[in-house]
Amino acid sequence: MGPSNDCNAQRTNHLMNKPLIATILILVLCAPLQTLQAELPAPELSHGLTRLQPPVTAPGFSLADMDGEQHTLDDYRGKVIMLNLWATWCPPCRREIPSMESIFQDLGDRGFVVLAVNQFETPDHVFAYMGQLSVYPTFPVLFDRDSKVSELYGVKGLPTTLLINRQGQVVYRAIGGRDFDHPRVRAIVNELLTENGTPVTTLTNVQ
Amino acid sequence: MNYFIRHSGNILAVLLLSAAGCVSYCFAAVETFTDETSGLISWKAQHPGFSLQFIQLLPDYVRAVYGARGLPQEVVELMAGYCVFGTIIKNESADVLGYRVADWHYFTADGQSHPVKTKTQWLKEWQDMGVAFRWSLLPDEQQFSAGDWSQGFTTLPLAPGTIFKLNYQWTQQGKTHNGTFERLQCAADKSPDE
Repeated sequence: MGPSNDCNAQRTNHLMNKPLIATILILVLCAPLQTLQAELPAPELSHGLTRLQPPVTAPGFSLADMDGEQHTLDDYRGKVIMLNLWATWCPPCRREIPSMESIFQDLGDRGFVVLAVNQFETPDHVFAYMGQLSVYPTFPVLFDRDSKVSELYGVKGLPTTLLINRQGQVVYRAIGGRDFDHPRVRAIVNELLTENGTPVTTLTNVQ
Repeated sequence: MNYFIRHSGNILAVLLLSAAGCVSYCFAAVETFTDETSGLISWKAQHPGFSLQFIQLLPDYVRAVYGARGLPQEVVELMAGYCVFGTIIKNESADVLGYRVADWHYFTADGQSHPVKTKTQWLKEWQDMGVAFRWSLLPDEQQFSAGDWSQGFTTLPLAPGTIFKLNYQWTQQGKTHNGTFERLQCAADKSPDE
């Protein structure tokens, strides 16, 4: 095993002539095996998105919403799409919904849409869950009952969020919960909204 | 001999520093948290740019999760009999980070090493019972970019209250790293506050 962090190795070398001081300092700085008793804080939602290079053509799909109406990816061609894969049992999924609603409310009329693709659950179950949320989502909630769409996009864990540009390419990805209302995420979406380009037709469609 | 005496301080320092370095990296800073309401314990190992958290889950919680899927009662009871943790893995570095559950091992009180069963292995074992929890179990392996994280159930075939040691592994900047939780404990059969 090769330790990748040697706790300030340069400082260590400099202090080698004063072994006692160096030892005390290093033990304090490295703070090994510290055990605390406290209440577990909820993990903070980060805001970083990973740019995919090169971008990947977004696979098409057709999924039903809460009312049974079909939505295809092509329906949103030319828009910037935030494709969020989620489930009700997943705590970070729940926590990021208000931030998705907020950014959708602000940028929806500029060609931005959020598609929340639920995994493996029933509309009845999700409907009951939605009623418990502090912010009721106004963006489409779609049902990927057999997880075919998540497989198409190579998703392994929930939540996973993908940003699709106006040209139909997946350009950003986030694994794990995020604060999508963060200025840096808004800046990325704004940048995608101002990009020019001809929308491409999606290559495959999954029912 | 004179050389040894003259430099013994430095040698001691080197030994202590090496030990401190190893301790801080190999074992990391392990924090233990206790939920005030339930009394359940969680452990968080903090390494440079990487953290791993194991959260006790009560058998009753596992019953509720699996029962909500309409599984037969005997299957629900089987699931509740396992030792289940909520697991959170975070990439807190600026680099790509990866893990494979297949590389993790746990050690029982008799000193025996056991591989941690992956989601794929569990689902294969459970497929005839109609358990298809592909999303709630911790993914077998993942590659995280900066800021990515994941969570899911880690299931071990251990009785409630069992104490064990867990060795885990991850890769970061092309290097493989190892860490240890010296003392994890499966949740008791009932909440400590009951």
